Amino acid sequence: MNFSRGLAAAACVLALAPAALPPYAMTLLTEALILGLFAMSLDLMVGYTRLLSFGHAAAYGLGAYTCGNLLLHTGMPLLFAVPLAALFSGIVAIGVAWVCTLASGVSFSMLTLAFAQLFYAVAFKWTTVTGASDGLAGIPRSPGPFGIAIFAGKAGFYYLVLACLLGSLLFCRMLVHSPFGEVLRGIRENEAKTLSLGYNTRRYKIAVVAIAFALGGLAGALYAPFAGFANTELLFWLFSGQVLIMVIVGGAGTLVGPIIGAAFFMLVSNLLSSWTDSWALFFGLIFIGFVLFAPQGIWGLLSGTGRAEGRERVRWRFLKSTS
Amino acid sequence: MALLEIDELTRRFGGIIAVDRVSMRVEAGEVRAVIGPNGAGKSTLFNLITGVVKASDGSVRFDGTMLSGMSPYSICQHGISRTFQITALFPEMTARENARLAAQARHVRRWQPYGGSTVFGDAARRGDAALERLGLTHVAHRPAGLLSHGDQRLLEVAMALAQQPRLLLLDEPTQGLSVEETAQAVDTLATLLADRAMTVLLVEHDMEVVFRLAHMITVLHRGAVIADGEPDAVRADAEVQRAYLGGLA
Repeated sequence: MNFSRGLAAAACVLALAPAALPPYAMTLLTEALILGLFAMSLDLMVGYTRLLSFGHAAAYGLGAYTCGNLLLHTGMPLLFAVPLAALFSGIVAIGVAWVCTLASGVSFSMLTLAFAQLFYAVAFKWTTVTGASDGLAGIPRSPGPFGIAIFAGKAGFYYLVLACLLGSLLFCRMLVHSPFGEVLRGIRENEAKTLSLGYNTRRYKIAVVAIAFALGGLAGALYAPFAGFANTELLFWLFSGQVLIMVIVGGAGTLVGPIIGAAFFMLVSNLLSSWTDSWALFFGLIFIGFVLFAPQGIWGLLSGTGRAEGRERVRWRFLKSTS
Repeated sequence: MALLEIDELTRRFGGIIAVDRVSMRVEAGEVRAVIGPNGAGKSTLFNLITGVVKASDGSVRFDGTMLSGMSPYSICQHGISRTFQITALFPEMTARENARLAAQARHVRRWQPYGGSTVFGDAARRGDAALERLGLTHVAHRPAGLLSHGDQRLLEVAMALAQQPRLLLLDEPTQGLSVEETAQAVDTLATLLADRAMTVLLVEHDMEVVFRLAHMITVLHRGAVIADGEPDAVRADAEVQRAYLGGLA
């Protein structure tokens, strides 16, 4: 099945969901799509550029707090506040990435974690903007002066999220298949070589972090009016770790995989937590299982092509280790 | 004026002088080999020219442009392409994609974040041409990591060629090859360089390779130049024989 046909089918099924699902399931599905968008944004860094971020919650939190403040204090309509918050998150990311890309490898990852924790600490102290430990509550879905109120309802908001997710997916797909994306692939496989071929690799890395943050910020910006609140947990390192798990379990470097990974994470954690308090332990076992036996992730297993590719990759690693 | 002019180039690592006041001229169309025993500073010299390592002192001029202080990518954008002593490829990409990505770096729209059929088309044409010149067309569809070591060495040369450089730096192109593979690779390189259209700086251990390919030879010993001239003159130089060639020449 080719991509566009599959995407059209998935979009149709998802578009019909509000007619078929009970309200509680719709809430879960909306959140899953928001998390899917968030995981997909991280995939640009992790899967396509091998920039392992341990602080991607920073993007989500930035988007959520910015959007929350815009909606609470400026009366800006939802349709403007959400993209503006995403843009702001992307602009902040240029500064963050400028510093983080001074290092590479594990040091890069540690710097991303440090930045996320810095934002977390700021959110805890800057009461006037972030509401400190109380967070921001009562974030409205303002229709604005033109009275576009259709997104305020449950189904309407779901369609907004779905449109953002599909639009971002198409955007990311265009990006990774473009000349720019090909350079990212080069950085992923051999950064020193890419540099010596005449590519300013640092600029490419800063660009991809900014894009990943903008899309991650978009997810956060949707979450704030979806949940009606934003708190410091959205910036916490635990959340950065969870989204990384969604990417890896779903299938890094596939864009679609992380969306499925996010849905899988939501579904399984919901099922497990209704059954036991130590659900994180069991999810950890599932995660370990994926890393060991299915590193290509759920999407890789489903699509089959990923399996062959995975084997090729494993085979190459073997050759490399023996030569 | 020489294409590449190196003046009093020096690099110290702590107390060790890896490259010691090296001066050198490379004329356009010349194939110059840099030889010397292990630790003579050959690779450091390459890293200095390409900006991977910053010079402690001295200067490198390329076609009148001062390269000192430039980053590796902008030096490459000035028309200097290199290969590495330890094979550096994109192992999961096919040979064709490797050459294409190398050629893409010379395209004005190399960073274009959408579409790309024009950029990819142009780059693939140049990449494929380079692969053909090195006799790699039959393995173009295979992942670079799965090619034989000999083909991997040649693929690196093809990637450099795909960039249509004005100066090509080859760091031990036959390193790690078997006797047969070396003979084959040298034949391919000799054919490639026969028309004198390319300026090449070559680091090589294998004396047979050097005497077959190079028009001029610079001998490094403990970071400094001890001889410089045409192959026959260098071969006859007493100091060179003592330092390096031993009983070979």
